[in-house]
Amino acid sequence: MNLVLGALLTALAVGALSAVAGLFLPRDVRPAVVGVGVAVSGASAVVAGAAAMTGQAAALVLPDLLPLAGVLVTVDALGGVFLAVTGGVAVAVGIYGIGYCRQHGLDARGVQAVLPLFVAAMMLVPVAASVGTFLLCWELMALTSLLLVIAEHRSRPAVAQAGRWYAVMTHLGMVAILIGLLVFAAHAVDGSFAALRLAAPGLSPAVAGLVFVATGIGFGSKAGIVPLHAWLPRAHPEAPSNVSALMSAAMVNLGVYGIVRVGFDLLGGARDGAAGWWWLLVLGLGAVSAIYGILQAAIGTNLKRLLGYSTTENMGLVLVGVGAAGMFATSGDVTLAGLAMAAALLHLVNHAAFKTLLFQSAGSVLAATGRRDLDDLGGLRAGMPGTTAAFGLGALAASALPPGAAFVSEWLLLQALIHGLPAAGVSAAIVMPLAVAAVALTAGLAVATFVKAFGIGFLARPRSPQAEHATESPASMLAGMGIAAAACIGLAVLPTLVLPTIGAVAGASVGATDPVQIDGMTIRLVGVAGALSPLMLTIALVVGLVAALAGVRVLATRRAARAARLWDCGAGPLSARMEYTATSFAEPLQRVFDDVVRAEQDVDVTHHDESRYLVQLVEYRRRVPDRIERKLYEPVLAVMAAWGRAGRRLAPGSVHRYLGYGFYALCGLLIVLVVTR
Amino acid sequence: MQIRHVDAGSCNGCEVEIGAAFGPVYDAERYGARLVASPRHADALLVTGVVTRNMAAPLRRTFEAVPDPKLVVAVGDCARNCGVFAGAYGVAGAVRDVVPVDLEVPGCPPRPEAIVDAVRKLTGR
Repeated sequence: MNLVLGALLTALAVGALSAVAGLFLPRDVRPAVVGVGVAVSGASAVVAGAAAMTGQAAALVLPDLLPLAGVLVTVDALGGVFLAVTGGVAVAVGIYGIGYCRQHGLDARGVQAVLPLFVAAMMLVPVAASVGTFLLCWELMALTSLLLVIAEHRSRPAVAQAGRWYAVMTHLGMVAILIGLLVFAAHAVDGSFAALRLAAPGLSPAVAGLVFVATGIGFGSKAGIVPLHAWLPRAHPEAPSNVSALMSAAMVNLGVYGIVRVGFDLLGGARDGAAGWWWLLVLGLGAVSAIYGILQAAIGTNLKRLLGYSTTENMGLVLVGVGAAGMFATSGDVTLAGLAMAAALLHLVNHAAFKTLLFQSAGSVLAATGRRDLDDLGGLRAGMPGTTAAFGLGALAASALPPGAAFVSEWLLLQALIHGLPAAGVSAAIVMPLAVAAVALTAGLAVATFVKAFGIGFLARPRSPQAEHATESPASMLAGMGIAAAACIGLAVLPTLVLPTIGAVAGASVGATDPVQIDGMTIRLVGVAGALSPLMLTIALVVGLVAALAGVRVLATRRAARAARLWDCGAGPLSARMEYTATSFAEPLQRVFDDVVRAEQDVDVTHHDESRYLVQLVEYRRRVPDRIERKLYEPVLAVMAAWGRAGRRLAPGSVHRYLGYGFYALCGLLIVLVVTR
Repeated sequence: MQIRHVDAGSCNGCEVEIGAAFGPVYDAERYGARLVASPRHADALLVTGVVTRNMAAPLRRTFEAVPDPKLVVAVGDCARNCGVFAGAYGVAGAVRDVVPVDLEVPGCPPRPEAIVDAVRKLTGR
């Protein structure tokens, strides 16, 4: 047994033990034991994933564990990346959960037992190596996450609604994946991934396309890709925050994993020239998701919903990279394909780090104030300095500006897209500039979004008594945030440590050599001109900032300073109601993109009883509906509801009629069998 | 010279004349004076009217908000010595009782020429 397999089995065993502990331990020690168990299990998975990325492989066959199909587990480099990311998120979330679950009434038996199972299921998905095993793990992941999403359904009705959306959409996605993989497996010797790989060259383009699109629908909906994203901004915010972090930072990645695994590895989409349109589709949907997601996040005021939409945005960017890699590979430019794929995988890792941090700090705010609307927050810096620092760091990492983590991966992505222009044919000449524009627009809107979330939510003055009296979260929650924050800083300053490994994995997945070279602290692209040194950039920025601040200080002290009160038009003190709110901050953006978002606003003026010249109350209401949801989902839901009402007439409660249904159905079936045979 | 106008309790007669002084006929701006929207931008205050009880604190704060060095011009008889409102209910006093005054313009209301004259004293043109 090698290191990979040993560590993986340790991770799973610890996860299972934690689940048992969650069931049987008394309530006061339950969160601590389960949290530590999840963290240990995650650390073990990080070891397994890291070892797998550096070239060790492992396989495990348990033919008798499942009837007919058996269980087939293979850890390879690509699966290792996702295993390590999931493990890393689990470490931070496990520690965080110790304090969070106790404080938030989430120490019930069911939740504590399901949490480690969910983590274990997410670790199993990227190592499953047969159709049966994969579908089983996928379904286990979907079910456990659903149970966790609805953990708080007794206290808030919105949770139950979110749970219904999530349950329906995740299972429809599962059906799509099932159809795709079963059609694929029907053309192979058996259901193992090795057999599928052998069978792939023999598939007709139509069947291969069907398999890719069907699995793509399922995986895309898990990754929250427009237009299959409707569940994500509901379920991620309504879940408990530690679960939100797991779902948003680890689970959505597995949708990308599925697309890469099926598209590149099993179907061999990189080798096949006819597969070009697959990757065009992936790139296009990725770009649309990125822009739509960040636009909704920029306009939204609900902190956790905003983060959920930001997940859609980042998964869109990852898929832009994946799609570009596929387009380059099918047109023969494997070096660029490797670069685009490396950018996608690095962005996925970065996103996992900063989204864990952001959801954890949002959970900390929620636990302290009970408020999730940015317009009710503010002034948290005084009461919650640790959480504020954590969110600030996460916001910097998410906004694609140096020295943030996302800057490095988005820079790599833009390099790949820009250098792709002269490489390929007509479609690339049209798509690549548009993709560059989409990524640039997304980056700009992301900055606005996170300036809003951090500035309005954490700085300024408190806008509600809850925010004013917020106190800092317990040490275990801060420790969980600290781990994620350290990962963000590490990925931002020293991506040179992980990029060679990720680059090698990405290159191998499209059949190329390493797309990046590390020269000391500098990243050099192979095959195209481009170099970046994140550490030097950070040092230069810090030195510049310190010099500017020192200069201002020196200039300011030359003249005597005069203290004066803030100009408030001579009237009373400025109150928190006069502050910029999240709604007003986003209003210009909403105006610019009004054709896309179509916000519904309503102004109600109530006059005084005695005179219409006196205004008693002005009420302003604004709602930003999800237009895709309204146009695409509501008609379907309306038809389903009508169908359900019609179906009710079939079941009036008469036993005779039900017996008649059974009789005629059986007779009909027999007649069909007789006629067709 | 940037000037901020403060109405501390005027009947708006002086405001009409200030408007005329800065209008197209008298055009005080040609002498280098300009009415601005905030005391933070201003070099001088142009105060009209008696200082009412409600406006005493805002006037003082407005004066404090003007950056140094600063000048105050009291425009109209009410601003100089409370005019016809002297001793009335709700009057806190003349402008000089609340903030230091550098220049006074008499009249009820003062003619636009007198206001332009005062402005020219400020700008020196």
